[in-house]
Amino acid sequence: MPWSNIAAAQSRAAVLGGYALALALAGAEISILALAVHPKVGPDYRAYYIDRTTTCLNRDAVGSYTIGETISFKREGHKQANNIKVCGWSGPAGDGTHSLGETSRLRVNVTRPSLGGLKATLEMSAVLRPPQTEQRVVVLVNGILAHKMVLSGKEPQQVSFVIPQAALAGAKTLEIAFDYLDGIPPTRSASNIYKRAIKLVSFRLNETGEKLSPTDLISGP
Amino acid sequence: MALLNIARPGANFRAMVIFITAIPLVFVVSGLAIRYAAFASISAEPTFEAYARTLCRWDCSWYVGIAEKGYERFPIANQSNVGRWGFFPLYPMIVGMIGTVFPFPTIVVATITSIACSYAACVVAWPLLEKNVRAYVLYCAFLLSGPFSFHFTTFLTEPLFVLLTSIVFLALKRSNYLAAGLFSALLSATRVVGAFVVFATVIQMFKDYRQQGGAIRSFPVWVFGRPDLLIAILISPAGLFAYILFLYLTVGDGFAFLHVQRAFGRVAGNVFLYLWEGLSAMPTAGWIPTAPQWSAFAAIGGLALCGVLAFRKQYGAAVFCAICITLPLITNLASMVRYVVGLAPLTIMLMQLLSASKLTWLAALALFLGACYPMTKAWIGGYLALV
Repeated sequence: MPWSNIAAAQSRAAVLGGYALALALAGAEISILALAVHPKVGPDYRAYYIDRTTTCLNRDAVGSYTIGETISFKREGHKQANNIKVCGWSGPAGDGTHSLGETSRLRVNVTRPSLGGLKATLEMSAVLRPPQTEQRVVVLVNGILAHKMVLSGKEPQQVSFVIPQAALAGAKTLEIAFDYLDGIPPTRSASNIYKRAIKLVSFRLNETGEKLSPTDLISGP
Repeated sequence: MALLNIARPGANFRAMVIFITAIPLVFVVSGLAIRYAAFASISAEPTFEAYARTLCRWDCSWYVGIAEKGYERFPIANQSNVGRWGFFPLYPMIVGMIGTVFPFPTIVVATITSIACSYAACVVAWPLLEKNVRAYVLYCAFLLSGPFSFHFTTFLTEPLFVLLTSIVFLALKRSNYLAAGLFSALLSATRVVGAFVVFATVIQMFKDYRQQGGAIRSFPVWVFGRPDLLIAILISPAGLFAYILFLYLTVGDGFAFLHVQRAFGRVAGNVFLYLWEGLSAMPTAGWIPTAPQWSAFAAIGGLALCGVLAFRKQYGAAVFCAICITLPLITNLASMVRYVVGLAPLTIMLMQLLSASKLTWLAALALFLGACYPMTKAWIGGYLALV
């Protein structure tokens, strides 16, 4: 075989090899892209990172709670409070824990002496920026609407409400979600994960049969 | 000055090599001395490790975490929403590998590696600066002893990004597309915007093709007829694709590096609104611009320099740099100063412009060296514009 033919054959092989490599690269990249557009993630990951339908990334966090116990969300109570904070909280600051984003959650494993009803008592204040004068908050317990409130003024208010029986039915764990309708972003273009709405000072659950002090009976609108 | 003289045209090759290697070395030493002085002015612990740790600010700690522990899966430990996925792997991987050989803390290894990368970036820039002696001195001073030299000498991706960008553009200048493609692949594993250097490669191919007298319409046919060009193009984003595959296999989401930006508060928005918000964040006292104003100035200045690159017919570099500025700008102004000063084609051209007259060259050199100390202190102090 003449040398020129060998050189030509080698050149053809190099060209074919080059095309094969290019094809392999293109194929690999398309395959990786196809995988990437179909992520294999759980609903919590998807909701927070991909769909952005929530600002509160759900976690397995759950704290134990004994009925009648008051949990402080000030600095001194942060160890206990941290156990029940799931997401959507920042702090504590000196006088309470700020909400962060459009939803916050608490989750507690409740030790109950009887299977009676439960009443929640929250001490909280509104985060306000003029001209805004109030914050609307919707509270859901185990996904069931429990209370709607309007907080106004900077001083903490005590809010009490009875948790609907439907939310308690057989449940040992209570998930309390706070939805903020009027959260304030730090700047116009800031992400909604930075919105502020309330500052939670304390949280307590009582059995509804229990005798309550007069201050406990002041309830939100 | 003696060094400058040996680099004059007509000087022998050995003298030239001495000049090219010695100049950045001089600025490595002067930069270390200046930054160390800034560190020593606020710290009582006179060790190199303490210096390296003190200069490790903001994103640096994320890279230390990746070099030492790799990437986390989901859910993230400690109830955190922010995973390390947003930080690209190549540079922390390199530091992590070097760290297995040398018995030093990660940040010390990273600091030395960063200085070495920036030194190499200077040497690679020599032909890109058209062997302009003044511009070379200025560029070395800027990277290694300049006002932003801490970005190029601590554990951030900038040192490797600048080095790889310079190598890619040098390969393109020499029409070595395969080399450009391979280093682009590394660049795309260093920062997400690195993948976009492929546009510069295609533009250079087009330029070369046109110089050979090719017709515009038959350019795609020419590219498809050359497997080496196809490989160069397709291999360019390979680093990014490898990272996407890794994230898919570990987190389940190949785009976790994008999606995690939500946890950092980065949301896609109106670029002009971000710029306006930055510009209108007036200082409450005094006249010194606020951090958002500096960031907006950097973005606008960077884009203007892209225009100058385009005017000088460096279209590939202009497109690449414009993408590198605009893409992060879509989410907000954060880190904009660092992103702009870390764009080698922009700073190389700026040094050439500043070296046009001896007066501007001297003034710029004095400014760079003089600003290093206060800017390092500002960096250590956590000044937001430098993040």
